[in-house]
Amino acid sequence: MEKDQITQNADTSQNVDTSQNVLMLDNVSYRYDGAKKPVLKNLNAAFARGKIYTIVGKSGAGKSTLLSLISGLDVTTGGDILCGEDSLNKIDRDKYRAQNIGVIFQGYNLLTNASAVQNIVLSMNISKSPEKDKKAYAYALLERMGIDRETADRKILKLSGGEQQRVGIARALAHNPEILIADEPTGNLDKETENDILEIFQNLAHTANHCVIIVTHSRRVTSIADVVYGIKDGMLAGYCSHGTGPEKV
Amino acid sequence: MYILKNAMHNLVRNRGRNLMIGGIVFVIIVSVVTALMINNTAGSVINDYQTRFGSEVRLSPNQQKLQEEARQNSVDGMMRLSVPQIAPEDLIKYGQSDYLQKAVYDVSANADSDDLIAVNADLGPGGGPRMMRMGPDSTGMPSGDSGVPGGGIQYYFRMTNAFDEFLNGTRTLDDAYDTTDFQGRFPDNINECLVSSDLMDASKLSLGDTVTVTSRMRDMSSTPENEIITEINWDLLIVGVYSDLTQTDNDLNNLQSAYEDRRNEILTTFDTITANMNDNPAGIRVNATYYLKDPDQLEAYTAELRNKGLSTVWDVSTDSAAYNRIVKPVVALKGITLTFVIIVLIFGAIILALLASIAIRERKYEIGVLRAMGMKKLKVLSGLWTETLAITLICLILGLGVGTLIAQPVTNILYQQQLAAVEESTVNQFPGPGGPGGMIQGQGRTVSGFMLPGGSSDVQPLQKLDVSLNGLTILEIVAIAILLSSLSGIIATQRITKYEPIKILMERN
Repeated sequence: MEKDQITQNADTSQNVDTSQNVLMLDNVSYRYDGAKKPVLKNLNAAFARGKIYTIVGKSGAGKSTLLSLISGLDVTTGGDILCGEDSLNKIDRDKYRAQNIGVIFQGYNLLTNASAVQNIVLSMNISKSPEKDKKAYAYALLERMGIDRETADRKILKLSGGEQQRVGIARALAHNPEILIADEPTGNLDKETENDILEIFQNLAHTANHCVIIVTHSRRVTSIADVVYGIKDGMLAGYCSHGTGPEKV
Repeated sequence: MYILKNAMHNLVRNRGRNLMIGGIVFVIIVSVVTALMINNTAGSVINDYQTRFGSEVRLSPNQQKLQEEARQNSVDGMMRLSVPQIAPEDLIKYGQSDYLQKAVYDVSANADSDDLIAVNADLGPGGGPRMMRMGPDSTGMPSGDSGVPGGGIQYYFRMTNAFDEFLNGTRTLDDAYDTTDFQGRFPDNINECLVSSDLMDASKLSLGDTVTVTSRMRDMSSTPENEIITEINWDLLIVGVYSDLTQTDNDLNNLQSAYEDRRNEILTTFDTITANMNDNPAGIRVNATYYLKDPDQLEAYTAELRNKGLSTVWDVSTDSAAYNRIVKPVVALKGITLTFVIIVLIFGAIILALLASIAIRERKYEIGVLRAMGMKKLKVLSGLWTETLAITLICLILGLGVGTLIAQPVTNILYQQQLAAVEESTVNQFPGPGGPGGMIQGQGRTVSGFMLPGGSSDVQPLQKLDVSLNGLTILEIVAIAILLSSLSGIIATQRITKYEPIKILMERN
């Protein structure tokens, strides 16, 4: 990504139907306790249904901080993140995490002493998924991620990094969230599985009309994004992509 | 529901840690079950004895005051020590008090009859003046006979309202004398009586017959020089016959008079004997036993008795000697177990608090993941609490079983030690005849104004304490178990409230 291509505080909403927006950053700033400088400064952005967004930037640029804010795991120190019309600072963020979003963590964050299928069923229980046979649904979901039944019954600690990554993705998708947030979701996957996962993301966004937000360093992942945001020095720039690489909005 | 399911899964998933926590909870519960079983049983024994010995009121003459009184009344330099008396009507009056749970009166009068031929009549009459009749009375305790009635008059028969022996089986109703018109029964009404089968046979009587018995009583105001004798007659309807086994063959062989043969006792009601009681009923013996509702009311009851005219020569007391002798080892055991429970609970609580704290720290990541998935703090907490409760419940069931099994052997060891210690201290305090302290003075009970020797200081302490698991103990154990698991819960709550999922996950990643 070229330095001159970055437009600070890009407002992408001018190019999309605002009624499709599910998440909006409204002057979002964040400063860690005791830090002099903010990590994020007055970010404005909109995330709409039916689109894939990637957030790119150097390590320490604030990508993961932004991800934790839009995941409802942390709260802004300035500005607001709106889910629909509600501020994340005011709504029940537990419910938001359980039902509105699905998060694929870079470190997987799975319950290590439980099996793959138990992780997914528990997530479905927490999100109050209406599925009647949650276990069968979990097995099917894992199968889609390339995890067979035998592997699905194994404890997480006995799975490889790639397998854990797939379980993490399956867990994020288990309750069919309207926003999928992923932090380096294909980092530990082989090319074939990466393609499968990216296809799932594309289907989720373009067919099922979900909003997919991915933090990544991968050009392959960035290539499927409808909108690419770059973060530099705590500020946001937006790019549009049409499969051949990011383009300036 | 899924919280419960997940908690159950976690119990198996974290076997090692749960077994360690469970082991400690189990040891605490077994210790507490054992100690509480002993403690509660000891408490019951203490309460029982407190009721039995602490509530039975005794009226005994104060020897020191008697001597003082005699000294003051001395006119010729000679000290005349007279035995104090309480008139039967006063004893009845003292029994009418709100402080008393009950007042039991045993009443008896010596009698003769022209209609009756006594069993062993050839031995002659007895029960004469100043003669102590030592032998079991209605309560099975040593008793005495004032011997006052009628100066030198001796009797063949004794009328009494004591039916206790029908309870222990040494006397039974004999239906051999029943007829189609008359079925034998206990006397319900005034002037009805029971007589022994031997007396029936000796006197050739039948059920439904009426006999006249007479008692000649010396008026209390009369003097040896001018004796006033009052004659009282009772016409008694025989409504039942009893078989008597109160005396052994040996007892019967050693009888000195027909009066001593208990088959000559005429059993009738309290009202029958006292119906003809005049102002000076010296011949009727009333034995009153008072039971306080609450042993702590002794002082108030004493004040009431003084108001009713009880002389200060009489001490009013409960049988504290017997109470202490029996209860002291039990009290000591109760104290030990209570201390033990407190120590176990304090140390147990500290250990459990530390374990809970460590366990929560260990599970910090798990809590972070659950919170990141959107599980509410309260649900995370309920899950952890459910796990603790399940462990506690399993330990509770096992602990109650094992505790019940070992409680008795532990009690036996501890109690024998206490018994030995108390007996040793008693010997040191009261070395017995020949020793520096002399004999332990027994207390008597009130029999028509006389204090009789005996009392209950010879009552032996319990040799064995039988412990059992009762409802109260189970409730206490359950409460303690809930308290212990709540302690873990409180620590978990405190930790979880502090934890922020983002921080936990960032630390981990």
